Amino acid sequence: MDTAFKIENLKVAYGETVALKNINLELYPKSITALIGPSGCGKSTFLRTLNRMNDLISICSISGEVYYHENNIYDKQCDVIELRKQVGMVFQKPNPFPMSIFDNVAYGPKRQGVKDKETLKQIVEKALKQSALYEEVSDRMDASALSLSGGQQQRLCIARALAMEPEVILMDEPTSALDPIATQKIETLLDDLKKEYTIIIVTHSMHQAARISDYTAFFYMGELIETSDTNTLFSLPKKKQTEDYITGRFG
Amino acid sequence: MHNKRKIQDNLLKSLTIGAALMTASALFIVFYFVFTSGFSLLSFDLLVSDYKTEQYNTTLDDTIETTMFEEPEGNEAFFSQIYGISLKDAENKDAEAIIVIDYIAPESPFNTLKSINENETVNASEGGVITRISFENTSTALTREGAESMINKLDGGHTIREIIFVEPGGGIRGSIIATLYLIGLTLVMALPLGIFSAIYLNEFAKDTRLTRTIRSFIDTLTGIPSIVYGLMAVSVFIPLTARFNMASGLSIYAGAMTMTVILLPVLIRTTEESLASVPNDYREASLALGANDVQTTFKVVLPNAIAGLLTATFLSIGRIIGESAALIFVMGTAVRDSVYPSQGATTLAVHIWTLMSTEPANVELASTIALIILTIVLILNTTVKLLAKKFDKLGNR
Amino acid sequence: MNVVVKRLVFLSALLSASFIIIVVVFVILSGIKPFISDNEGLGPVSFIGFITRTIWLDGPTFVSNMYGAGYLIANTLYIAFLTLLVSLPLGVLTALFIAKIAGKRTGALLRSIVELLAAIPSIVYGLVGAGLFLPVIYNTALSFGIQTNGGNSTLAAVIVLTFMSIPTLTTISEVAIRNVDLSLEEASLALGTSKTQTHFNVVLPAAKSGIFSAAILAIGRALGEATAISLVAGNALSGPTFSLFNRTATLTTAMLQGMKETTGLDYDIRFSLGIVLIIVILITNFALNMLKKRVGKMHAQ
Repeated sequence: MDTAFKIENLKVAYGETVALKNINLELYPKSITALIGPSGCGKSTFLRTLNRMNDLISICSISGEVYYHENNIYDKQCDVIELRKQVGMVFQKPNPFPMSIFDNVAYGPKRQGVKDKETLKQIVEKALKQSALYEEVSDRMDASALSLSGGQQQRLCIARALAMEPEVILMDEPTSALDPIATQKIETLLDDLKKEYTIIIVTHSMHQAARISDYTAFFYMGELIETSDTNTLFSLPKKKQTEDYITGRFG
Repeated sequence: MHNKRKIQDNLLKSLTIGAALMTASALFIVFYFVFTSGFSLLSFDLLVSDYKTEQYNTTLDDTIETTMFEEPEGNEAFFSQIYGISLKDAENKDAEAIIVIDYIAPESPFNTLKSINENETVNASEGGVITRISFENTSTALTREGAESMINKLDGGHTIREIIFVEPGGGIRGSIIATLYLIGLTLVMALPLGIFSAIYLNEFAKDTRLTRTIRSFIDTLTGIPSIVYGLMAVSVFIPLTARFNMASGLSIYAGAMTMTVILLPVLIRTTEESLASVPNDYREASLALGANDVQTTFKVVLPNAIAGLLTATFLSIGRIIGESAALIFVMGTAVRDSVYPSQGATTLAVHIWTLMSTEPANVELASTIALIILTIVLILNTTVKLLAKKFDKLGNR
Repeated sequence: MNVVVKRLVFLSALLSASFIIIVVVFVILSGIKPFISDNEGLGPVSFIGFITRTIWLDGPTFVSNMYGAGYLIANTLYIAFLTLLVSLPLGVLTALFIAKIAGKRTGALLRSIVELLAAIPSIVYGLVGAGLFLPVIYNTALSFGIQTNGGNSTLAAVIVLTFMSIPTLTTISEVAIRNVDLSLEEASLALGTSKTQTHFNVVLPAAKSGIFSAAILAIGRALGEATAISLVAGNALSGPTFSLFNRTATLTTAMLQGMKETTGLDYDIRFSLGIVLIIVILITNFALNMLKKRVGKMHAQ
């Protein structure tokens, strides 16, 4: 099968502290892969290596390879900015820019040089529809993004990422700051999005992983313990640690 | 498309770096100019001499024995062996010819001239000007005849009748003393007033409308330009000092009162901050031991806020040294050689103003004073920073 | 004993608070005299005339009451805003450099330089302006065929004020830039924009209100600066001066000029200038704060 990402022997350290080691994993396209594990197990760090957001931390060092479309993204020639256009990210706490709703979604394309007003309008509309927000905001596109509720803001951030028409969307616990209703809206949304996009989602809730994902990877103490399709992982886990985590013996 | 973005990015980046460079260069421009214009005049003499040029009619002290003097090494002026001085021709600020003393031997009788009228001793000094020397048995040596001629007449062995000696002046002793007076008087007034106000606001005041009003009134003081304080001082403090017979008209007393008002908001705020940074545990412990709130404040809180108080004091000193507009109104612009707190005088900063607002402007001397001010400010600032670091370390044990 | 001490500190605070009232009252008392008294036979100065006329004194001193500060008000505002125009970009970009681009050591060094610039007394800036920039302006203008009054000009005043404004602008802008939530930067970078794009399209706009506050503070100081400008402005007796190369005068420089007398109209009128200056500062502050609120609407929840 086609792979979106192929990770080989990945090791990530912050200074002296090793956050991830011996990571070997394949991530598949047009599906949802959930990364689960207890706090501090390294899943967020892993997610951020996929779009090289760890570059922002100066003491972070990386070894191993991360292949995206046959190319190691940690190669010297890799253009980080190009990579991030194709691999988008949604953060745990919604972080819309202090601008209008329209400007938030149009931000990415504008920076890439899209100037035509009509084109921008179309892009913004499409993205907002894809993130199931359009109906709620179509009459106030010029209002400040900060006037939206938490759940709406997160969907706005998803729209903002979608406006760049990426292949992959990385999500770092996107619903942990939201109430159950908003969470459900987003989970429904993801189910739709996975038809066109590859979604890698870090979640602290195994239940969420079980609900929405096609594949699951279980991390523990910086290592990848087990990965397989979700059904198998949750019903017939191969490793004892996986079973212990799933059955709630530790969290 | 990428290239367009890259070009734009690089343009913006260079603008940013350029701005930072320009800001950094501003500092160097200021120091460079002040240093090159003013360094040459900097000397110990400058700090202790009078500002005014003073002319003395003198004779030699008869009681001094004269010996023959040796010409000093590398002497390029005209040297008198009998009297041990060397003179040279020069031009004064108005481009007039003068004869300047280039060197005086330590035992030269010119060191102890006797003033004819005043019965005091005048020390001729290097840099001083000799206008005329008249003799018993030969023609007077005049400036327009030149230094060589004067030296020849001196060494001609004739008895000297009169030496007219002019002290160059241009010293800033008066301004230095005035500045010191101002600093002292201001601190004496401002520190207690500021610290007590801060103590009230931080330790005793409750959050009532009155307290908030007091705070906002004090805060508004910061928005007022110092020149307006000068106006206020002239209509309030000058009559006030006259009323209490402290002074009539311009005075350093009035200046100190003015500076007190100017410094008050910053002083109070800094003190309040350092009082607030003393942990409440200290206060609670003291109260629990039976001390009342006044004792707690003065014996426990205040001593622990010393670092902040010192910082506030140094900052205040810096501000006093730098103030010009308000003091021009309340202490005047006349440079004095004898300074009394009940009279006006110029501080170093105002002295710069006086030098620069006369025709022609004395940029050199003004720069020398500026150099001194900048050095002091530099030292004060560094001290404050070191203090902050030191007490930070102590606090975070 | 304790009661005494408590009373003492309370009175200190009261006294401190009362100074603002004393300042305002006494400046108004003296400053209002020219407008309402007879000025020893010269007749009162018309207030409207005072704030609109474009000549300092129409007629000989002690004989005329036709004082005009209108041109001074125009000059003061003109110079202050020109200064902001030049110094705001310089200050903000320097702050951006220190906060986001410079390494730790370079940033600390630059910050110290800015602190030092802030500590330099204004008279020294005036000295450098008069000693260094006046000749430069004079010669440069001459080589282009422009006559200047020895270099005394609006341009010189703006340069001196820019030097003095940059520290304030840089320091406060730097704080505002640092306070921008890092997650906003992350969001921008994650969308495939460059660092520079992020700085100029997200960080600086997000720091707008802090930067605005810095500008308001800087303008307040520029409006009130006296000795530094008066050494380079040239003391124009009429105006207003909009050309960069002509002599100019401001409310503050006029206050410093010719303090020969201690009574009389020529003396009292300086207090009137003081009143006008305070009013100008108050109005400018108010207007800019209103503007700041409107600009900040996008940040509202």
